[in-house]
Amino acid sequence: MQDMVGSEYPVFEVFVQKEPLGFHTNVGSLRAANPELALQMARETFFRRENAYDIWVVPQDCIFGTAHDEAHLPVSGFDKRYRLPGGYDNASHWKKFRAKAMTIEEVAEDIRS
Amino acid sequence: MEEAERTRIFMERINAGEKIEANDWMPDEYRNLLIKQIHMHGISEIMGAYPEKEWVPKAPSIRRKLALNAKVQDEIGHGQMLLRLAEDLSRPYGRGREELMDDVLDGRVKFHNVFHMEAPTWADAGVIGFLVDGGAIITQAMLLDSSYAPYARMLKRIVAEESFHMQHGEAVVLALAEGSQAQRDMLQGAINRWWEPMMFFFGPVQMGKGAQRMMEYKIRTKSNEELRQKFINRYVPRITSLGMTIPDPELRQDPETKEWHYSQPDWERYNEMVRLNSGPMSQARIAMRRYAHEGQRWVREAMIKASERQVSEHQPAI
Repeated sequence: MQDMVGSEYPVFEVFVQKEPLGFHTNVGSLRAANPELALQMARETFFRRENAYDIWVVPQDCIFGTAHDEAHLPVSGFDKRYRLPGGYDNASHWKKFRAKAMTIEEVAEDIRS
Repeated sequence: MEEAERTRIFMERINAGEKIEANDWMPDEYRNLLIKQIHMHGISEIMGAYPEKEWVPKAPSIRRKLALNAKVQDEIGHGQMLLRLAEDLSRPYGRGREELMDDVLDGRVKFHNVFHMEAPTWADAGVIGFLVDGGAIITQAMLLDSSYAPYARMLKRIVAEESFHMQHGEAVVLALAEGSQAQRDMLQGAINRWWEPMMFFFGPVQMGKGAQRMMEYKIRTKSNEELRQKFINRYVPRITSLGMTIPDPELRQDPETKEWHYSQPDWERYNEMVRLNSGPMSQARIAMRRYAHEGQRWVREAMIKASERQVSEHQPAI
């Protein structure tokens, strides 16, 4: 592995999923001799108190990232409200027709209840 | 362990409300039902971009053009995310993205009846956002509770983006409803075109064996009719409040049971359209898909060749 210098272990990035329907989130990194030991180390290092539903370890040199400047990152350089539900003022229009505005949260709640 | 014993333990997990992950053991039937459902869902997202894409160059203002374009991007993105899930599930069968895409060109995977239809006016673009996305949101909200965790997780992202689709569709519909008589007539025309396909969209009252098994596996949690009733209940008052009518003389709500009575859509006609890709726009849209998939294959192959060289020169990011 690229990071291996002499007897130094390679670096693994650690990702944790807290609950079945959550997403894996990066919590930090550690050094270990191999993926199995990295998983063991991750438990020892990051999850002495917290619960985890699933843990991933990824060799750090397998991670490809963007440069941290405006040309490379999806920043809101201009108005993107048209892409967001908040960019639409439908409530005042529905009121004119004597109907209520509706949100997706409300629909989801209704279906799942 | 015996297959029967494994299946029994699996069903215990399902019935206890546990979530299944891609690498967990699962009965072949569960896997096949998931592949069929998610493949069809992903392909429908992609084919659903076509009727809307037609209206991007013709949208009445720059803001509407941006919004519609954003929606088309979202649909294609949803298709990509869902196809990844179908690919993971199809791995034991050795089928990947290429094969899953070929299936739509060869008519081996169906997509929603609504995307076989024409969208002849700007009001259709609005009503697709209003009613088709509205219906899709109802179905997808149910899938947030799916027993297959990767599907449920992906649906969280998708539903969050659908929230904008819903508001965008309503904004177009409201603007037309507040407009001239010609605009209101155009809106009524679009509602007349889309109501019956939406009644079909949720599927037959008597669900097929596959749909029933999906309920038992908790891949889905509500029946076709429950979802259709939710849709009617939500959208009838909204459409009538706009002073529009619903093209169904049989439509009425039982004052006691609150159950809606409605005319049966032409099951035979729409089933055939979906099965044979024989709707008014089916072949034209599949042809565009073929152009994108087969016509651009050489680009994908060239990119892979070029990347083989680049990876070896790559410096890690961290």
